[in-house]
Amino acid sequence: MSVETAPPLGADFTDPDMAMGLQFIAQERRIRLAHMFQVGLVWLVLVVIFSFALLLMNIDPAYIVDHIDFVLKGVWVTIGVSLASIIIASVLALFGALGRLSGNPIADGISGFYVSVIRGTPLLIQIYIIYLGLPQIGRQLQIAGFQQLGSVFTLSAIQSGILALSLNYGAYMTEIFRAGIQSISHGQREAAAAIGMTRWQMMRRVILPQAVRVIIPDIGNQFIAMQKDSALVSVMGIWEITYRANRLARQESKFMEMFLLAAALYFILTIISTFFQSRLERRLAHAYER
Amino acid sequence: MNANPIIRVEHLHKWFDLLHIIKDVSFTVQLREVLVIIGRSGSGKSTLLRCLNFLEEPSAGTISIADKSVTCGVGVRPDRNQILSLRLSTGMVFQEFNLFPHMTVIENVIEGLVTVKKLNKAEAITLGEQYLGKVGLLEKRDEHPIRLSGGQKQRVAIARALAMQPSVMLFDEPTSALDPELIGEVLDVMKQLAYEGTTMLVVTHEMGFARDVADRIMHVDHGEIIEEGTPEQIFDEPKDIRTKTFLEPLRKVQHL
Repeated sequence: MSVETAPPLGADFTDPDMAMGLQFIAQERRIRLAHMFQVGLVWLVLVVIFSFALLLMNIDPAYIVDHIDFVLKGVWVTIGVSLASIIIASVLALFGALGRLSGNPIADGISGFYVSVIRGTPLLIQIYIIYLGLPQIGRQLQIAGFQQLGSVFTLSAIQSGILALSLNYGAYMTEIFRAGIQSISHGQREAAAAIGMTRWQMMRRVILPQAVRVIIPDIGNQFIAMQKDSALVSVMGIWEITYRANRLARQESKFMEMFLLAAALYFILTIISTFFQSRLERRLAHAYER
Repeated sequence: MNANPIIRVEHLHKWFDLLHIIKDVSFTVQLREVLVIIGRSGSGKSTLLRCLNFLEEPSAGTISIADKSVTCGVGVRPDRNQILSLRLSTGMVFQEFNLFPHMTVIENVIEGLVTVKKLNKAEAITLGEQYLGKVGLLEKRDEHPIRLSGGQKQRVAIARALAMQPSVMLFDEPTSALDPELIGEVLDVMKQLAYEGTTMLVVTHEMGFARDVADRIMHVDHGEIIEEGTPEQIFDEPKDIRTKTFLEPLRKVQHL
């Protein structure tokens, strides 16, 4: 919400009709400002209460300061894992959505199965299955004599983490992509069909370019959520924010210090991402007005 | 009349679930003929038109346009390629324009030429500009549709359909979504096309246009052709009582 302070362009204070309008604008502005001020005050009070509570808990700020560099290095791992995963998830979601909408029973069946299995199971279990379960299959294959194929099933922690997050988010995003594609009006399909386009030409040239503008803000939201869900990959010992914080916390039992630091880092990441996401959203809202 | 029609519709049926919307309709259209289809809302006239290029798949019947022919029926599913090639013989103009909002005006017009007909871009643009000129909108070639008035959008939609050089043009209530002051510019373009000898099927409520431009008028009600004839026959001496009662209230409003 933005609060403008200058009167609108072309305002003429001598015109009584316009002067009246300006009074109403000023009044609405006062109401908006008062509301924002009150909300800000509530935030301030909450921050003060929490800070006070922390002081009472005998927090050791020096421990945080001493180890902030170490945990901060994990931010890049968190961002890297999330970024790689959101890209792969988007590709999976695109194919998933196209499969659901293709009318082809095989494609529809495969992507429907994928979506419901992934959505029906916890991300943490998916991580364990990929990281710890798959190598068992690999060993069986190697025993059977398929050396190359068997080794493919043994993934590093980073590979497993990215694969699990991609598969998981890809399933949820399949529904987002599907809704985005379906939001394009039926008239667009008919117009494309009327000039003789095949279904694939229609999808590629007419539907997807418009659907992408609907979907991109949602991808942003998913990316923001994924940054936090990526904390789960710490169970495999990937050196991201949570793993680093956890390690130091256990060393000297400074749990509150280290996990608060981790929480703060995720919070800052979210604020930054949200800022870019809402800018992007605003730009896409004015599509086609070149 | 010529014995070799460019459109031949035989025993066309359309069911929506258990609703029988089109009931055994057969008719032909001659080359260069302008056929206007009139009828009250829900009479099936739009569905009839949309069956011609399979935007609605007919439940049964045969549609032949130019040298393409497609048959449907229980157990007879036409294949995709047949339908695609039939669509290339038809150009369609919609009530809601349905321009592609993410493309400029010229991109809209050449889209089919480039993507479907595989023309190279330069050729397509030359052709596209020619048709944009025809509808009087060459100066809007680089605008996005959102910047155009309804009348301008519909003229671009006409240019987009014409650019594919179809054998027949289908108009599905092309002025029904327009503000009254914008209807004239679209009808003028359509009149021009008619005078140039374009074969046209027009579903419309514009009775003045029907009287001035149509070679033949078909009155459709409850999915059947109940009367057809020249504009004089239909407007001045309608034989069927249903045609009379349909036209009566329109006479005063549209100055027939």
